[in-house]
Amino acid sequence: MKISTRGRYGLRLLVDICEHAGDGPIALSVVARRQKLSEKYLQQVALLLTRGGFLNSVKGSGGGYLLKENPEKIKIYEVLDLLEGSITFEAESEGENAIEQVLRLHFYRPLDEQVARAFEGLTLAEVTQAAWFTYMI
Amino acid sequence: MQTLVYLATCKENCSIRKISEATGISSGYLEQLMIPLRRAGLVEADRGVLGGYRLGRTGITCHDVLSASEGDFRPAPCKECQKNGMCKTHQIWSLLQSAVIDFSKEVLIEELAIHLVERGAGGGI
Repeated sequence: MKISTRGRYGLRLLVDICEHAGDGPIALSVVARRQKLSEKYLQQVALLLTRGGFLNSVKGSGGGYLLKENPEKIKIYEVLDLLEGSITFEAESEGENAIEQVLRLHFYRPLDEQVARAFEGLTLAEVTQAAWFTYMI
Repeated sequence: MQTLVYLATCKENCSIRKISEATGISSGYLEQLMIPLRRAGLVEADRGVLGGYRLGRTGITCHDVLSASEGDFRPAPCKECQKNGMCKTHQIWSLLQSAVIDFSKEVLIEELAIHLVERGAGGGI
């Protein structure tokens, strides 16, 4: 599994909007400059995050995007699941043989459960508040 | 992974043809897959009439196999954000990476092989 550009940009967009939540609606052009990301691409990601219920779009001059909910309520796992379509490893293929089935049921499925447990309770608020040096691994 | 699980269910050396039949992976591709697995000591091979492949040792984990054949699991290319040191999303990818690596270190190929044998689909044990 590789997280796509959409997933990575989407998270950076949410973190940026969360960090500047006091500034009112945030224009994507501002995020693009701050994060050094393409504005065109951010537009696509913002649309997806709005449809998915994580962002509100404010039209007009001074418009932009706001978080739809408190960042304590925005779960990172759910955001990733939306942006990536799914962040699971388990995938049933057609005409699966016995070995593939064993791997799927006894490795990939519990692996997905482990990943979901690792992300449990991780919210946008925590990610945004973290001091940068605490995760330089 | 499929190859290693199958080999763990075989009493004797196993030919590429037999592994191919069990896994559905083509012989040519299997030969290629075996190169990094041999280099990592996860499989051994004998030439000749009774030749074939077998596990290189006991206690092989899924992580051993995945890192030998695919390299370290990296969910995101993090070069840019390590440079500026300010990318807060980096911790998310680190969390995902360690969850996957830690779990795959816990699962033994031999445990998976037991499940395969229970299904009557192993290679002879």
